[in-house]
Amino acid sequence: MLRAALSLLALPLAGAAEEPTQKPESPGEPLPGLELFRWQWHEVEAPYLVALWILVASLAKIVFHLSRKVTSLVPESCLLILLGLVLGGIVLAVAKKAEYQLEPGTFFLFLLPPIVLDSGYFMPSRLFFDNLGAILTYAVVGTLWNAFTTGAALWGLQQAGLVAPRVQAGLLDFLLFGSLISAVDPVAVLAVFEEVHVNETLFIIVFGESLLNDAVTVVLYKVCNSFVEMGSANVQATDYLKGVASLFVVSLGGAAVGLVFAFLLALTTRFTKRVRIIEPLLVFLLAYAAYLTAEMASLSAILAVTMCGLGCKKYVEANISHKSRTTVKYTMKTLASCAETVIFMLLGISAVDSSKWAWDSGLVLGTLIFILFFRALGVVLQTWVLNQFRLIPLDKIDQVVMSYGGLRGAVAFALVILLDRTKVPAKDYFVATTIVVVFFTVIVQGLTIKPLVKWLKVKRSEHHKPTLNQELHEHTFDHILAAVEDVVGHHGYHYWRDRWEQFDKKYLSQLLMRRSAYRIRDQIWDVYYRLNIRDAISFVDQGGHVLSSTGLTLPSMPSRNSVAETSVTNLLRESGSGACLDLQVIDTVRSGRDREDAVMHHLLCGGLYKPRRRYKASCSRHFISDDAQERQDKEVFQQNMKRRLESFKSTKHNICFTKSKPRPRKTGRRKKDGVANAEATNGKPRDLGFQDTAAVILTVESEEEEEESDSSETEKEDDEGIIFVARATSEVLQEGKVSGSLEVCPSPRIIPPSPTCAEKELPWKSGQGDLAVYVSSETTKIVPVDMQTGWNQSMSSLESLASPPCNQAPTLTCLPPHPRGAEEPQAPLYPPSDPRPSFAFPPSLAKAGRSHSESSADLPQQQELQPLMGHKNHTHLSPGTANSHWCIQFNRGSRL
Amino acid sequence: MGVAHSRSVSKEVRELESKTGFSSDQIERLHRRFKQLSGDQNLRKGSSGLADEINFEDFLTIMSYFRPIDTNTGEEQVAQSRKEKLRFLFHMYDADSDGRITLEEYRNVVEELLLENQHMEESAGSIAEGAMMEAASVCLGQMEPDQVYEGITFEDFLKILQGIDIESKMHICFLNMETMALCH
Repeated sequence: MLRAALSLLALPLAGAAEEPTQKPESPGEPLPGLELFRWQWHEVEAPYLVALWILVASLAKIVFHLSRKVTSLVPESCLLILLGLVLGGIVLAVAKKAEYQLEPGTFFLFLLPPIVLDSGYFMPSRLFFDNLGAILTYAVVGTLWNAFTTGAALWGLQQAGLVAPRVQAGLLDFLLFGSLISAVDPVAVLAVFEEVHVNETLFIIVFGESLLNDAVTVVLYKVCNSFVEMGSANVQATDYLKGVASLFVVSLGGAAVGLVFAFLLALTTRFTKRVRIIEPLLVFLLAYAAYLTAEMASLSAILAVTMCGLGCKKYVEANISHKSRTTVKYTMKTLASCAETVIFMLLGISAVDSSKWAWDSGLVLGTLIFILFFRALGVVLQTWVLNQFRLIPLDKIDQVVMSYGGLRGAVAFALVILLDRTKVPAKDYFVATTIVVVFFTVIVQGLTIKPLVKWLKVKRSEHHKPTLNQELHEHTFDHILAAVEDVVGHHGYHYWRDRWEQFDKKYLSQLLMRRSAYRIRDQIWDVYYRLNIRDAISFVDQGGHVLSSTGLTLPSMPSRNSVAETSVTNLLRESGSGACLDLQVIDTVRSGRDREDAVMHHLLCGGLYKPRRRYKASCSRHFISDDAQERQDKEVFQQNMKRRLESFKSTKHNICFTKSKPRPRKTGRRKKDGVANAEATNGKPRDLGFQDTAAVILTVESEEEEEESDSSETEKEDDEGIIFVARATSEVLQEGKVSGSLEVCPSPRIIPPSPTCAEKELPWKSGQGDLAVYVSSETTKIVPVDMQTGWNQSMSSLESLASPPCNQAPTLTCLPPHPRGAEEPQAPLYPPSDPRPSFAFPPSLAKAGRSHSESSADLPQQQELQPLMGHKNHTHLSPGTANSHWCIQFNRGSRL
Repeated sequence: MGVAHSRSVSKEVRELESKTGFSSDQIERLHRRFKQLSGDQNLRKGSSGLADEINFEDFLTIMSYFRPIDTNTGEEQVAQSRKEKLRFLFHMYDADSDGRITLEEYRNVVEELLLENQHMEESAGSIAEGAMMEAASVCLGQMEPDQVYEGITFEDFLKILQGIDIESKMHICFLNMETMALCH
């Protein structure tokens, strides 16, 4: 393909192309002069054609997917093959000879590796190893069975005279043919099964088989081929033994090469911290190196790449940056899809070349029937044996799908093309038969397998989102099963898996993972993290939407989305719950307009993340300045975690998390805010009787000063932009009472006098920007070094929401134990009045923080606050020195 | 295969058989293992009061939870068996057996799970909270703001684990095999 010339283009250009090619040959002659235009087709020909073909294939893909109807009925692979046929016909008609065929060299060296790497890397490893026994059985025994029975049966057919005598082939030739035609093809299987969506077990068995049988195919093919070349008379008994031995050498050797490279790859990525940009490249390079190495040593290259992908994934994913992960994923998918498309198209084109063909109906029909029959028979026999051992037996329907899903593909075609015509005189017949078989399996079976699956009601794969609970339980199951196996004294699968995990955790992961990655490495944590990110994203989406539509939403639905609460009201509640430590809060004129601004401000505060003020010049070729995305994720994560915990405490687990006086207040406030917003949207500004303290503080200057002090972490700082710290406290308003209780909270508990809107003063109006005081929205600005600190920080900021943190804010890791049982049942009734002994923080300080904020507002309003708080001891401490001291502590603590 | 050993099948064994569903053969093997374990000095010298001693019947009963579900016995039998397995699991979580998995108990479980990774321990609480919240959302659907979710009841537990096919998880394969080879 590479060398071929695109005749459509090349023919008309031939004249033009000749000229430049002569020039370099005669450098000594004086040039005729400066040329304005030089046509250098031949210099770019090969890569140009490659690019062109890929482009054609991609365009074809786009066209196919324009019509949903077509692609839902016909697998893409079929369409591509048909397209290839058409294109091949055109090329043949124009050039009078077949061009651009699928060449084995191209196929094995360039087209196959990406597909295999993709499938190995993204293979669900757990599922794979759970079913490893079945997969290996089908791959090894099944392939051997298919090869021998098909070959022998064809030979029998020939002996019976059903194959024309012009097909000159002996038993060995047929066995050779059988070996190459019997292997299920990973490319074809993947292409078809990805669209069918059968259940995971079935998929992994068929697909795993198609990957792993490569070793068997390679061995069989080589052995048979060399036997054929030696001539059947010269084959010694030891050669048979060698053949069997080479099966082990090739398969185990291939796997070993793959694992070695996986190890190297994991180890390399451990040290790429400063050169993030080459991380994706390393993945591809080393995987490709594994492929080539195995190929070089004539081991099973497919197995090597599969094992490499499978083995390295866990460590590589932990090591490389988030961006690199995305890059690897997309590049791999792109390459694989590209290769697959080209393969099918070239397969179609290759079929047109009639010069290679020699048709024999007996052989073709016989082969078709035999491969279908023996595949089915083999599957049934093996499944019967396997079902004696399997927990969940494969039922009849599964077996039907498995035997019907045995698609042949490009591997068989490439192998048959590689045959030597002088040694295998029947090569042309074999080529024709292979093409027919491949086309039949891909097109006919590919077309019908979907209706078949539907008709048989095969269990489909269910797409349920992973939930934290399920993940937890899965782990529990693993542990329990390993334990029980140990108790009973049977060292089975679970036992060994457990042992492997221990080993992995103790040695391998420590060796292959970055320290920071290793520390936070845990599957449960991963799921938790992912879910949090998702929540946060959906929260941001919804938050914006909600604001624009109604301006308020209510209810905290406890579903996860809504934990990331949708409502502005909750946002207000959230940021309002922190103590305002700002001495400079000044009342400004409140108007509806201000209020809107404030609401918007809070939304932005919660939903948007750090404004990035400066960007490092991103034009460096070798370094990507920093992972803005990753950091943003972490921010999202933190914020969301904060929110989750917050709402969790306040809504569901009041009891358990008791340390907070603010908690009952918060629930109250939520309602209030709801009302407040309703009022706001009604356009009735209520200026009376509530206190709003919303401080928005610009901390630019002070921020940078601080940076000076802890300048060790330079990378953090360039993201520190303007930090808005806003806070709104809503107060009690008698008028709103009725509506508040009706609207939002029909619960029987004591409803505090209803709320009014929280109002903000916008400090940029009052020009107090240069006093930087941090309040509770600490999380927005911290860039965590890793997850752990991220967690600590969000914990501490959480604590600070609940009440001012104690000195070691960041180290507040575990929640104090609380007397849960007794208080639990009463909780809904008396939520505001639980003074929890569990919180170690001195109450006076806590009050200081809060009362400080209150005191910054006018006094009468403070008194109205009292009923809401429900705490007699909530007196107002005057904001004295304690407050400022406090601020500093908090600041320092959370920055550490 | 069990027939060959029928000479040794005493009334006791038969009782156990009907109770736990093990074949007499399996019971015999498990008994051997049980004796071996109970003779094990290492197990014996566990700290006192840590666990009560169990007799062979208890041992068998516990093991029987891990028996594969016999799919031939009909729908409700399977459902029943599934429920039994889940109940066993539920009791493992529910430390004080008050019928609820509280946050505290859940956290203990998570801590156990994370035990191997010392760095993760602090996260256990938050993960448990997340899981608990998820459970609440699964079980209660829309919840009032001030509603309190006190813990996972068994019904909730069933709901949460709906997606997991317990048939493959709570199984130990070897118990299915008559010819299991126990190491001695």
